[in-house]
Amino acid sequence: MRIGLLTEGGYPYVSGDARLWCDRLVHGLAQHEFDVYALSRSQHQEDEGWIPLPRNVRRVRTAPLWMAEDDEVALGRRARRRFTECFGELAAVLCGAPGASPGGASGAAGGISGSASSATGGAPTSEADRFANALYGLAELAREEGGLTGALRSEAAVRTLERACRAPGAHRTAREARVPDLLTVATHLERALRPLSLDWYEDDGLGAVDLCHAASGGTAALPGLLARHFTGVPLMVTEYGVRLRTHYLTAPDAPPAVRSLLAALQGRLAAEAYRQAEVVTAGNTHARRWQERCGAEREKLRTVYPGMNARPFAEVGESPDCVDPDTLVWVGRVEPAKDLVSLLHAFAEVRKQSPRTRLRIVGTPAGPEGAAYLGHCRTLAAQLFPDEAEGPHAAGDNPVSFEETGGPELPALADAYASGAVTVLSSVVEGFPVGLVEAMLCGRATVSTDVGAVVEVIGGTGLVVPPRNPRALAEACVALLRDPERRARLGAAARARALELFTVEQNIEAFHGIYLEIVSRAPVRRALLDGAGEPLPFAIPAEAHVSVRWTAASPDLAARGGPGWAASRPVRATTPLPAPEGAR
Amino acid sequence: MSDLDELDRPGTAPHPGTRDVHPEKEPATTITNSATTDSPTTDSAPAHSAVTDPTAPEAAADPKVPGSRKPASGPKVPGTAEPAAGRKVPGTAGPAAGRKASAPRRGAADPVKALMHRHRELCERAVDPLEIAAGLEAHGITDRTAARFRHRDVFSLAEEMYARVSRDGDTPLPAPPATPRVRAGWALLSLLPGALCAAAVTAVHLSHGQSRLLAAAAGGLAVALALRAALRRGPLSRTDAARPGPRPGAASGRTTPWTVWLIAYSLLGNGLLDSALAGGPAALPTGTADGPWPLTAAPVLALALACAPAAWTAHLFTVRTRRRLGASRGLEDFAAAVRPLLLGTIALFLGALAGLVTLCAAVLDEPAVLAQALALGSLLFLARLLTTHGFTYAPAVVLTAAATIEAAALATVFASRLPGLGFLATPVETLVAPWGAGSVPALACGVAALTLLVHATRKLTRASAHAPPEPAP
Repeated sequence: MRIGLLTEGGYPYVSGDARLWCDRLVHGLAQHEFDVYALSRSQHQEDEGWIPLPRNVRRVRTAPLWMAEDDEVALGRRARRRFTECFGELAAVLCGAPGASPGGASGAAGGISGSASSATGGAPTSEADRFANALYGLAELAREEGGLTGALRSEAAVRTLERACRAPGAHRTAREARVPDLLTVATHLERALRPLSLDWYEDDGLGAVDLCHAASGGTAALPGLLARHFTGVPLMVTEYGVRLRTHYLTAPDAPPAVRSLLAALQGRLAAEAYRQAEVVTAGNTHARRWQERCGAEREKLRTVYPGMNARPFAEVGESPDCVDPDTLVWVGRVEPAKDLVSLLHAFAEVRKQSPRTRLRIVGTPAGPEGAAYLGHCRTLAAQLFPDEAEGPHAAGDNPVSFEETGGPELPALADAYASGAVTVLSSVVEGFPVGLVEAMLCGRATVSTDVGAVVEVIGGTGLVVPPRNPRALAEACVALLRDPERRARLGAAARARALELFTVEQNIEAFHGIYLEIVSRAPVRRALLDGAGEPLPFAIPAEAHVSVRWTAASPDLAARGGPGWAASRPVRATTPLPAPEGAR
Repeated sequence: MSDLDELDRPGTAPHPGTRDVHPEKEPATTITNSATTDSPTTDSAPAHSAVTDPTAPEAAADPKVPGSRKPASGPKVPGTAEPAAGRKVPGTAGPAAGRKASAPRRGAADPVKALMHRHRELCERAVDPLEIAAGLEAHGITDRTAARFRHRDVFSLAEEMYARVSRDGDTPLPAPPATPRVRAGWALLSLLPGALCAAAVTAVHLSHGQSRLLAAAAGGLAVALALRAALRRGPLSRTDAARPGPRPGAASGRTTPWTVWLIAYSLLGNGLLDSALAGGPAALPTGTADGPWPLTAAPVLALALACAPAAWTAHLFTVRTRRRLGASRGLEDFAAAVRPLLLGTIALFLGALAGLVTLCAAVLDEPAVLAQALALGSLLFLARLLTTHGFTYAPAVVLTAAATIEAAALATVFASRLPGLGFLATPVETLVAPWGAGSVPALACGVAALTLLVHATRKLTRASAHAPPEPAP
């Protein structure tokens, strides 16, 4: 099977966002071919280069998002009119203006094929259709003319945008757009629509793959949408963090008109990607809820938990004894959202009930803010807990220690978890709690706050308390510290759960299963044409649809001594993969 | 997943497989309650809720408070959670019941209002409910927290907050876009070509023979380099220079050779044309204004000196257009406001240039060829202004045309000496006879400048020509 992996600012760049799981996926599914189509985010990222690619990556095509390839395409009169119509429709949808006529857009967009299905009527569907028609109309225009960069930058685009903003029925914020706002929106639209001008959608590009897998939502899914529109390649979208939510949180401060139009664009793009995708996967329930909210149908949604490399934690997880039964451990990046202050207060409560307890805080500060927070926590710890010594002649130290991994005492992350009896997580805000999964893999009993995906991850194999509640946190810690048997039971259950749900192998296997499901349900039907333009019967043999290459005599096929399709389970990643520190 | 859903909620019936979750929670919250009941502070609710609000609604929803038992049962059953519109019922029933039971609580009558007060900035800034939802989640509010506000999830809570936030006030005018500042770098650099040209002219006047040729060559080179440096920075440089990637029109914008030709013609061309019409030239130029092939250095010196006013007027134009950009509401308004600005800028430059030409002619003791110098100056200034704003095609075409006309005028005069082609010189002769040799470049450059002026009033009044540089991703 040939998979087109679409990324934006990620794999295969060294500084990419999601490169680690993409790398594991590509390594893990060595029996499939991958074509990587990467959009780079900055010059810096391009200069840093790629990570080493495995052999089954057949080709890598990249395009910069940070600069426009200057196309110097001058549109003719007819093309200009089509551009104005499609772009105007797009802008009208973003501004919330009602359409002039229901069929106007599809007529304007020219030969739009019927891929935009499910026109069941009703306002949201018709709005989504209008957006889709306008988008694909622009894409077709870009494909015919060889690029739209110039047109999207032109005065005509700004003028069209202004007309859409002033149209009756447009949102209040859009109506208030001033000239600088219009210019900003036009610039952003041009940037967001740059994938339209790429030459990836030909038969030797994305048209040749069996499946497009977008590694994130948003811009990365746009090439997949266009490939689906032009060549019918099924699309799959994976989102570990919902791109729309990220957009809301990271959008720079701008006038309301700009923010509302750009948010509408991102929302529409996400909705269209969810609508056209065969399967949408989420990293946890939280992402899944956002996707449902943005219009993904329930039956398309799958939760594929992120995979963690369990090997570094195997030794610790399988040895039953722990170093110190009176030690609590906190591991993570030090930042205000982790609420270490609350942890220190809780520890003060714990000390009242069992005075011999110690707390190890292992982690590096995240940025200058984290460094300041770490200093604050150190001061607080020094104020709360005086240094203690064993006798009158011994030097004392503080029961709370701040450490970092990599030194002689804690050479690896697993040792940090191994050094304590109970692992504590005290965050107030958390996405997918990687540290908690690591503690589970180490077989430690955990006490965590009820934030983010914690409850979903822990699933009854650890204690959960409300956030910002030091007293509850302390009670839970004391309960575990006093009950070694319960600790061991919870730790074993946690490790079993983590090994079942959060390993790299389950992640890869889940994606492999989804690939097979999509290809069996929505295969690409390609018709080869002969010289006269007639479809050529039997040009594609049945073997072409088998999901592995078995017509080619590959060496590992002979080694296995059986037909390839019989052993099409994913090959486990047996080679040691890069250490997971980068993922943290 | 149903297991997880149950686990999410505090106080659900114990499940056999989930014995270990929240065993400590109930006592903890009870303790918190008893602690909070000690302080009957309902008035200072916002101040307190800023610190411990997550526990306050829980206290309201706690079954142990007698009056609030009925509304508290709402969020526990997921199916019966109140939608956004219907939540007023428990919201109004809750405080009444609470007051009757005289249970002092810190939760305000309207918990969502307190929440909105806390996240006031977020609510006022939000352009749609999802933005509030994202912001709330970033502040640690989960579906469990939203259940305490009688909402099914964060999204419906955010929807209520979005609907309730008042947006009566006018949005404040956005800050005017940042205008470029006067920097010493370009201000000094723009003076450099004029100074060097003056020095070169002086050197040529003072030297003789071989050294005069050397001085002329060195002066020309120095002026060219200074001009290049002056155009690299400041208001006369390309605005998109900071943008990564190839510049638009980089291929079509080869204007340098034509510009050099136009300037060279203004230096040498009039003398050559005069002597050619008289049957010459008999000798190479000597570098003075009184040889057989006289040089006209005054316009060139004036143009070099005019770099500084050009930079200043272009800077003025940029600053004023940026200001208009921030102030205008529509594209038409903007175009109408920029048109007089553009014409005023050009008039200002021409005035400065006229003064400089007169001054140079007086100093160098040459006839003031005002029309020719003004035409060439306005042509070059307009071409540069258009190039600065990203329009490279038209300046290239027009400059090429003007240079070609001048070259053709010279070529026809020389070609007319060939037998049978005498008629070729007729147009130039009829032009030069009444108005002098300066009329040829004045006419060519004047027509070209007018063309560019018309073009500029159409292109430079567009808002997209003045778009601020592309924001960083």
